[in-house]
Amino acid sequence: MLYVLSKITRKYGSRTVLDIPLMEIEKGKIYALLGPNGAGKTTLLNILGFLEAPATGDIFYHSTPVSFFESYLQNLRREVVMIDQHPILFTSTVYKNVEFGLRIRGISQKKRGIIIEETLDLVGMSDFIQAQAHRLSGGETQRVALARALAVSPEVLLCDEPTSNLDVENQAAIINTLKQINEQRKITIMFTTHYIYQVSSLAHHAFFLDQGKLTTAQAERFKLCR
Amino acid sequence: MELLADSFLSAILLIFSLDPEVLSIVWVSLKVSGISTLFASLMGVPLGFLIAYGSFKGKRILIICLNTMLALPTVVIGLFVYSFISRRSILGSLDLLYTQKAIVIGQIILVLPIVATLTIVAISRIDERYRKTAMTLGANRRQTACVIFREARFGIVAAVIAAFGRVIAEVGISMMLGGNARGFTRTMTTAMALEYDKGEFILAVALGIILLVLSFSINLIFHFFQGRTGT
Repeated sequence: MLYVLSKITRKYGSRTVLDIPLMEIEKGKIYALLGPNGAGKTTLLNILGFLEAPATGDIFYHSTPVSFFESYLQNLRREVVMIDQHPILFTSTVYKNVEFGLRIRGISQKKRGIIIEETLDLVGMSDFIQAQAHRLSGGETQRVALARALAVSPEVLLCDEPTSNLDVENQAAIINTLKQINEQRKITIMFTTHYIYQVSSLAHHAFFLDQGKLTTAQAERFKLCR
Repeated sequence: MELLADSFLSAILLIFSLDPEVLSIVWVSLKVSGISTLFASLMGVPLGFLIAYGSFKGKRILIICLNTMLALPTVVIGLFVYSFISRRSILGSLDLLYTQKAIVIGQIILVLPIVATLTIVAISRIDERYRKTAMTLGANRRQTACVIFREARFGIVAAVIAAFGRVIAEVGISMMLGGNARGFTRTMTTAMALEYDKGEFILAVALGIILLVLSFSINLIFHFFQGRTGT
């Protein structure tokens, strides 16, 4: 198993926003995470991305228990990349944005250039390589954010509502890219969504969260949909 | 009205004649203000960044103290520094009084809170998603801080410009600690005050025009740069 979450809880003040007795995530699969607003989907992604620590419980990544110390987490974060629901690009060029993760990993300039061109090509944004990132549309921003994440060859990609507020064309482009990278690079993907058709067309498995708890009744509905 | 028009015309002629006295006063002003802004920025920007970026006990109190210091009158600072550098005081042996160094010390105290508080504002305005994005892409604390700093760069430069604008236009510190000595500590503002006292408006108006043009030029360069590379 890639991830095992055991008795995980997360609280904001006195409110428990996440309470997961057991969750297992297999390597190389695509997982959908469904649930109403405020169900705890983003919190769960933050925990899986090692950006937030759970209040209680254990996380095992590659069967190794995760300790939430900054120096330890940095190495883990280099394997797991999260893309926000409304990703933000650095106020620089598209090239510099995609380069960021590669530069901090000490990859040579020549190799960086090749990777950046490849990943921008993958998301259909190679024509924008020298464009100012803050001048891009919502769909283009989402695609560059995806390229920026893919450039660092993550083992896990966490996408928080990757197609929300996008037109049909951009939605299809994002979905196709996610499918492609899972098939070709065996990247494990977890994405949150409200669209059941995305779950059935993209995900191998689905989790349903309601008030911070995983529910099984709707999982059955997902199987019927498929 | 006629007096103003005549003074304005004569002032323009004085500027274009490159009068040595005008040049000397402008040079002293730029030198003193530039050095004090530089030192205040070197201290104020990191201080503001650490306060805004860090989370520690007493952070709010520190911000309140800095905000309070924004209202410090220049004569109070002048008096405060004077009490340390006058002949009979603790630093009297350093012979700083009525030198450019004394003006620089006073002006640093004046603008350090400006640079620090405006840097805090600039950093605090940066979207939280920048930090999260840098972290998820594998950045360590230092690299994440660099991202935040970079995103706040225009706000920080604006803080430095505001500080320069404040010191080049102040008169109390320069007068009390510099002494308005011709060719040494006479700045544009102290010269203007002196000329006004003498009833000589031409040099005062000329220096006023130069002060405005300088201020306008710096802001123009900043906005041009921001427009080309920023949002």
